[in-house]
Amino acid sequence: MAPVDLSYTAEEEQFREELRTWLAANIPDEWTQPGFWRALDDDESFRLRRDWEASKTAAGFSGIEWPTEYGGRGGTPGMKALYDEEMVRARAPQTVNVLGLTFLAPTIMAIGTPDQKAEIIGPMLRNEVIWCQGFSEPGAGSDLAAVATRGVRDGDDYVVNGQKIWTTNAMHGDKIFTIVRTEPGSERHKGLSMMLIDMDQPGVEARPLKQMSGASEFGEVFFTDARVPAKDCLGEIGAGWRTAMLLLSFERGASGVGQYTEFRRQYDEIVAEARRFGRSDDPVARQKLANCLVELECLRYHAMHILTQVEQGRDLGSESSMTKLQWSETFQDLWEAFDDVLGPEASLARPRPDVDLTPFQHQAMWSRSVTIWGGSSQVQRNIVAERVLGLPR
Amino acid sequence: MFFALTDDQQAFATTVREFLADRFDLDAVRGVVEDPHGDGHPVSLWKGLADQGALAVLVPEEHDGLGLGLLDAQVVARELGRGVAPGPWTATVLAAEALRLAGSPEQQAAWLPGLAAGETIGTVALRGEAGSWDGRGITVDASGQNDGVSRLSGTASPVDYPSVAGLIVVAATDPSGTPGLFLVESGASGLAIRDQETYDGTARVGAVELADTPAEPLGGGTLSGAAAVAALMARGAVLTAADLVGVAREALTRTVDYDRERKQFGVPVGSFQAIKHTMADLHVAVTMAEHAVLFAAHAVDTEDPGVDVAVAVAKAKAADAAWAATGAMIQFFGGIGFTWEHEAHFFYKRARRRAPLFGSADEHRARLAALTMD
Ligand SMILES: Cc1cc2nc3c(=O)[nH]c(=O)nc-3n(C[C@H](O)[C@H](O)[C@H](O)COP(=O)(O)OP(=O)(O)OC[C@H]3O[C@@H](n4cnc5c(N)ncnc54)[C@H](O)[C@@H]3O)c2cc1C
Repeated sequence: MAPVDLSYTAEEEQFREELRTWLAANIPDEWTQPGFWRALDDDESFRLRRDWEASKTAAGFSGIEWPTEYGGRGGTPGMKALYDEEMVRARAPQTVNVLGLTFLAPTIMAIGTPDQKAEIIGPMLRNEVIWCQGFSEPGAGSDLAAVATRGVRDGDDYVVNGQKIWTTNAMHGDKIFTIVRTEPGSERHKGLSMMLIDMDQPGVEARPLKQMSGASEFGEVFFTDARVPAKDCLGEIGAGWRTAMLLLSFERGASGVGQYTEFRRQYDEIVAEARRFGRSDDPVARQKLANCLVELECLRYHAMHILTQVEQGRDLGSESSMTKLQWSETFQDLWEAFDDVLGPEASLARPRPDVDLTPFQHQAMWSRSVTIWGGSSQVQRNIVAERVLGLPR
Repeated sequence: MFFALTDDQQAFATTVREFLADRFDLDAVRGVVEDPHGDGHPVSLWKGLADQGALAVLVPEEHDGLGLGLLDAQVVARELGRGVAPGPWTATVLAAEALRLAGSPEQQAAWLPGLAAGETIGTVALRGEAGSWDGRGITVDASGQNDGVSRLSGTASPVDYPSVAGLIVVAATDPSGTPGLFLVESGASGLAIRDQETYDGTARVGAVELADTPAEPLGGGTLSGAAAVAALMARGAVLTAADLVGVAREALTRTVDYDRERKQFGVPVGSFQAIKHTMADLHVAVTMAEHAVLFAAHAVDTEDPGVDVAVAVAKAKAADAAWAATGAMIQFFGGIGFTWEHEAHFFYKRARRRAPLFGSADEHRARLAALTMD
């Protein structure tokens, strides 16, 4: 066995070249300017990204590691890592169907019915259907098993009542994969089902929620006698917890390569601002930033480790909790360093007439969310402690 | 992409680990710790390591070595750290590295086979009191050469195991201000070794005092001057980081094992979240440090363009992780962890003493800042 080898295969490198070429030809220059996306109104931004991503799919650059039978590219894990890296490098627009692509599609491939496989994945890849994730409720966040939204059988349908919250893309979603309590009186993990609910019906109402950053990327979804055909259950009726756990496990493939590439660039951008404002010689500021760099580089090595494990066909188990902790905590530290290092200037939109810090501030605000969603840092630490280290519950 | 240890490297690690468990367990370590005036160099341990090729890892095959890389050497360093094993392993390996990198074929032939076999003990003396670890901290002066011999004066400290070393590689500055590496043999005239007491009983250290001491300049190898000194520092940093990572991992494992069993308030203390979350964060930190050491070793072996960043990251991360994990070990064992009878202090003291060697976490962060901000 050869020792450490960080190269990609010739085939993977060729894929990288093709992707690079396509991205270079298909991303308008102005799209990559700081602040471009946030200057647009929310709907306009969403529409642009939705169409752009569909054209990327048509060019064969979506579903990189998915089998070709689902419209994927049939690529290797290495290609997926390169894809994540190149998308960030090219400052490509962010995907609008992230929850569907990351979670729902692989779950359908694993346990979906033939009809679900045929009808859901293609339209998702082409952005004809935007998917939301309906897990969290006002009374069920970290404790997902406390879900109270209920579904009652009525002929071939279930009738759904209840509320979801913090739903990303609530205002743009076409469908929502939703954990519903379909067994009346059931408790905790039992009696749940994963229903694929059409949002375009009178019984479903989405309302935006304004985030601390001012944007409204998430919202609330209310179900009032909403109907969902029983055949639109993913996995078996009553087996929703198992389906949900399988679905969340697909976070694990994510290696952190994309995050590293993005945050490492942000590090350089923060350093450039520190220099501009005469703070780059301050020894304390230098220690703070350099410590972020230490953690960022560790994230990169960790990503190489994860990719190796995936290529070797190993089950990552609870290692994804470690990946999440490392990237989210590091990202947050980096943006705390931004404020620390720049001092009072950090809080000003335009500390000088020619300097716009709002894109930075947006990242700094966003960084507060990443340790909450996708399993909060506290929940991840519980997982590492209990499932990796074997400490008692 | 393959970023992991190979089966061979894992087998090597297992061999060293099992050897230590069988032949040099914590009771044996305690024997060395409780005999502070002994030489801290148990012969059985040394012979065992030599038999496994642990001293020959980096030495080229033509000089009876295994001709492997730093990637393989860090495997050994990690296991020695894990076992808090005493002895001049790092010192000897670094002395051999100095010869391999900067020595002439003749110098290599004269010294490397003995160092690889464990017959000669080596050490390196690279900086002086309060000096930095980047070559500017050299406090020994070298005279001009006369018949291939220079004269060294000054004091280097702290140096690992100088009392048992037959060969000391000294960094010194010549009259033109250029740093370089020199060979000083034990018993050389004007050489005095002053033993220094240290709280880390798993090592012996001293000051190397030189007064017009004859020394042979290392020369004719791949590297010379400041580059040779820097290369040696980088290797010292990686091997020290690997040792620290081993210390940290073992400290964490032992603490987790204890807190799973120890009961208070009717439950295992390891079920308390204050402990769980600290352990989880430490597990992440130690794992990241393991990755970082692996990458840095690879970067040195392959002369990766990012090697300077990689080495600084590894040393900074390993030092912080070891400090945190060994401190937590004492805390989360409670009172017993603070006793002399308990082994927690072996780990804590080893981590504390080694953390600043070849540059502290702060120094390496300062270096990273210089590499990315200036
Ligand atoms: C930007 C954003 C987008 C989101 N998008 C979606 C989405 O698309 N779909 C969706 O379903 N959800 C979404 N969420 C919701 C997210 O998954 C939840 O916010 C998250 O699971 C936490 O639940 P909660 O908000 O109810 O907080 P709570 O669970 O009430 O947690 C409050 C605090 O208690 C801590 N805590 C909870 N349990 C424990 C424990 N056992 N031990 C220690 N500490 C604990 C938490 O870490 C947190 O700090 C999104 C959230 C955000 C911020």
